Formats: sequence, structure tokens, C-alpha cells
Amino acid sequence: MRGPVSKKLILWSLVWFSIITMSLPTIIIIGASFTSGEMIQFPPEGFSLRWYQRLWQLDDFQQALLRTFYVSVICTIIAIPVGTLAAIATVRYRMRFQKTIQVYLLLPFTVPLVVSGISMMLFFGEIRILGQLWPVGVALCIINIPFMIWSVSASVNSLDPELENAAYNCGAPPVQAFLTVTLPAVMPGVITGSLLMFILAFNEFLVSLFLTDSRTVTLPVQIYNSVRSVITPDLAAVSVLYIVFALLAIWLLDRLVGLEIFLRSK
Amino acid sequence: MQSRNSKNIPASWKLLDLAERLLVTIWPARLNKYVGWGFLLPALLLVGILLIGLGYIIEYSFHELDLATYRLKAEYSLTNYHTFINRPVYLHILGRTMLASIIVTIITLILAFPYAYMLVRTRSAMMRKFLLIALFLPFFIGQVVRAYGWLIILGKQGFVNSILTSIGLPELDLIYNFQAIVFGLIQYMLPFAILLIIPAITSISEDFELASEGLGANWVSTFRHVVLPMAKPGLVGSFVVVFTLTMTDFAMPEILGGGTSDFIANAIYDSFFQISNPGLGAALSVLLVAIGSIIVTAIFYFAGTGTLGIRQKTR
Repeated sequence: MRGPVSKKLILWSLVWFSIITMSLPTIIIIGASFTSGEMIQFPPEGFSLRWYQRLWQLDDFQQALLRTFYVSVICTIIAIPVGTLAAIATVRYRMRFQKTIQVYLLLPFTVPLVVSGISMMLFFGEIRILGQLWPVGVALCIINIPFMIWSVSASVNSLDPELENAAYNCGAPPVQAFLTVTLPAVMPGVITGSLLMFILAFNEFLVSLFLTDSRTVTLPVQIYNSVRSVITPDLAAVSVLYIVFALLAIWLLDRLVGLEIFLRSK
Repeated sequence: MQSRNSKNIPASWKLLDLAERLLVTIWPARLNKYVGWGFLLPALLLVGILLIGLGYIIEYSFHELDLATYRLKAEYSLTNYHTFINRPVYLHILGRTMLASIIVTIITLILAFPYAYMLVRTRSAMMRKFLLIALFLPFFIGQVVRAYGWLIILGKQGFVNSILTSIGLPELDLIYNFQAIVFGLIQYMLPFAILLIIPAITSISEDFELASEGLGANWVSTFRHVVLPMAKPGLVGSFVVVFTLTMTDFAMPEILGGGTSDFIANAIYDSFFQISNPGLGAALSVLLVAIGSIIVTAIFYFAGTGTLGIRQKTR
């Protein structure tokens, strides 16, 4: 960036204000999780790992963590084929009602999450699958599927259709052309999309709140329930788990496709 | 090819041949016109589940609660919608939600724009990486965890109050009020807004700014007359997303507001689980979707679809 000092001063101070606002909760949670006191306090009463140890012994948190993994895996496994095929279809194939299809596929974003949650709660209740864990994974896949379609369609856009034609011309039957030309070319989009799907499902709270009960509660809902009663430092330790996962996801994303992918213009 | 010397063919080839034959059986060549639809079908079915659920909500919203049995009456009526209009509490909640959405959206955009601008324009690759990580870290940490962080900071014996008391100042009530919700929402929405503004700024060549400054404009007027108008698609896109996400938010008013300043989403939740009136909750849901759609359509009509544009999305 070029420009006079006043521009630098004003813009950077706004940027730093944003950075602090966005990062402060994360930093404070990490600090609080290492306290040796009984209460969340600042400054912390001393350094200890006792809350992490306690976490290790808390059965319901471990169960909730496992369930959260389970629904996130279901969500991602469904999203990969469904989202990839849909993205290829919307970008590559000329179809009637194209606009209608796009509006329809964006429904999960346009319908408020609270309404989506209740909708699926009513429907799942009606067909008697409410209270099981796997429908939660399906629901999380539905509400986030536009992310997957969006990620993959960015890759499909940059794939030259002549490559597929060349494969056909060289005698490749459809499945082979798809597996050896199309799929590898859209892989960056698939990776970005699946990472997003997993991490979003892992964090999803509102829809899960409607679809889970005390036997199927997932970690974000469990944290929410605990936040409303007594705030103990073990919650901070659980939250640090989330921060670690987020860092891991960012590192993976940067490694596999590069964070700069989000800097592209449309 | 398969007939001669089948021993020398690798297993993966055989598998592939099998797949090709399977494809021909389940999807004969004469259906090739509809390959696009075949690819699309799973996604259409998946989103269809949501659509069916929405059908249930609309259906529920037209049935009044029978206070004798606590079940919905069988006959259709508009009672639930009348309740919304006649009870000032719901209009009050609607007004509060709208006010919060406007405040949050404006402040978020004011903060997000310089961030996105610096992220794109900075010469230092290190700085860019740092800004990207600072942006993605909160994006990948859910709302509940972040709200919990604010509870520790703003709570009664929280970070801010411990500092205040240690230097001899009185404690402040920072939590469980409207301002706390607005603040929590702004920090929750920032990553979304920044990510949506970035593409718009990337597409503005820095030469335009140079030209403007070469013609004697200072940086403020360059910003006002060149950068901001050219970044309009990004600003419209993030306005719509931040506004609708704030308008429909549940967790921040619930956790940071502690029931003192409910939004519509909290009223919907309470109708279902506190006062056990699913009909009323469904009617509120329908109204929330309707109000949101009207606002978004109006913005798109007057300001264009911005970066959320359907045509830009696919090509």
C-alpha cells in the first residue's frame, strides 16, 4: 500500500482494532484454561493443567466429542459426491430452469438457521428418525452444502472443457475421462469444500440444538448448555480444543490449496 | 481389448471397464441429454428435505393452539398471525432485531472494508498471511465458543472488571444487555464481511487509485469517489449477508443477552420450547423468512446483486 501517513495511520488503526476484536476471545480462553484456581479469573491464579486433566476424566464431554466427530464425518462424506456433481452440473451443463436451480440450491443459505432447524425437527419427527445421530449429520450437510458447491464450482470454472473433449477424442470412455481428467482438475475445490464442511459441522450449534437430545448432544450444544449454568475453567479447556482444531484446519487449507485462494477476484 | 490375453491387464483397468459397463446399464447413451440432471439429482433431493420441512412449518402456522389439550386444532385459521400483530411484545422484538441488524451491519462494514483493503494492498507477504490467519481463526471457531470468550472478558468477575477493580474503579455491568449482543455480533460477522469484500477489492486495479491521486485527489476523496464505488458489489454482498445473519441470530442474544434482549429467533425458540405453542413459533418463522426475503429483494432491486450475483457465481 502506498499513500500519506494519515492514510496509513487511520487504516492500520482500524485494522488493528479488528484484529484485536477478532482474536481477544481466543487469547483469553487459552489463558483461562491454564488457571489453577476454581474460578475463571484474570489474571489467572497460577499455571496448571488440572482442567485439561479433568477434561480427560469427564465422560459426557468425551462422548459429545465423539458424537460431534461422527456427525461431521457423515456431513462431509455426503457433501463430497453430492456437492461435486452438483457443481459440475451447474457450471458445465446447459440446462433449462438454470436460474431456478441456482436459487433452489441456495435455499439453505437464504432460509434462517433457526427456521431450518425447526423445519427438519418437524420433518424428522414425522418420519420417526428424530433422536438418532445420523440425521443430524445429514441436516448439517444440507445447511452447508452451498459452501461445497461454491468451492467446487470455482475449480470447475477454471477447468478448460477442451481437456475433457481431448480425453474423449483419445478414446477414453466417460468414467475414465471423469476419473482421470475432470476429478483431478477440480480436486483443489473438493479439498477446500470438504475442509469447510467438516469444520463448519464440527462447530455447528443452532440446528444441532433442535435435532439432539440429552442422549445425542454434540459438543457445541453441550458447551452452550454449560455456559448457561456455571462457568468453570473446564469449559475453557474444551474451547481450546476447538481453537486447536481451527488452527489445524487453517494449516491444512494453507498447505493443500493456499489461503491466498480466497484473494481471487470473481 | 478384454478378449485377448486378459491375464496381462492390470486389475484397475478391469475395475474401470466394469464401471463403464455398469454406467451404460444404469445410464444408457440415449439419456446423455440428461447427464446434467443426473449430476444434479442428489443435491436436489438433499435440499428437498429442507423444503419438505418448510412445508411443515407453513402448515403448522395456520393452526391455533387448543389450550384445553395443548395440541394444534385441526381447522385452519390465521390466529397465530393475529397474535403477532396484536401482541406488542412481538413487534417490540422485531423492532429490536431490526435496530441491532442495522447497527451491526454498518459498524461491521466500516471495520471490514479497511481490513479487506489492507489485506489485498499490503506489499508484505508475511503481513498478508498474518491478516489471513487472524481472519480465518475466528471464522473456524463456532459462535458458542466465541460467545463464551466474551463472557470471560465482559462477565461480572471477568477480565475487564478485574482490571477496573484492581485500579480502584467500580465494576461495570458489561454483560446481559443490548450493547454486549451488538458487540458480540460485530466480532462474529467481521470474517464473513471481510471475505465477501476481498474479491471486489482484488478486481480494482491499483492504477485507478494512482490515476486519481495523479489528478490531485487526496486519499480520502480517492477512497470516496474511486475505491468505494468500484467496490460496491462487495459491499452490497456483505451488507446482505451480515444483515440477514444478524437478523436471524440466536446464540449471541441468548448467551450475551441472557434473555434480556431477545431477537426473533429467540422468540421462535421460546414459542416451541417454553410456551409450547408450535403454531405461533411456526408463524413467527414464516414471518422471519418473509421479512428477510423482502429486505434482500429490495436491496438487490435498488443496489444490484453485488458479489452474490447468480450470473457471476457460475461463470
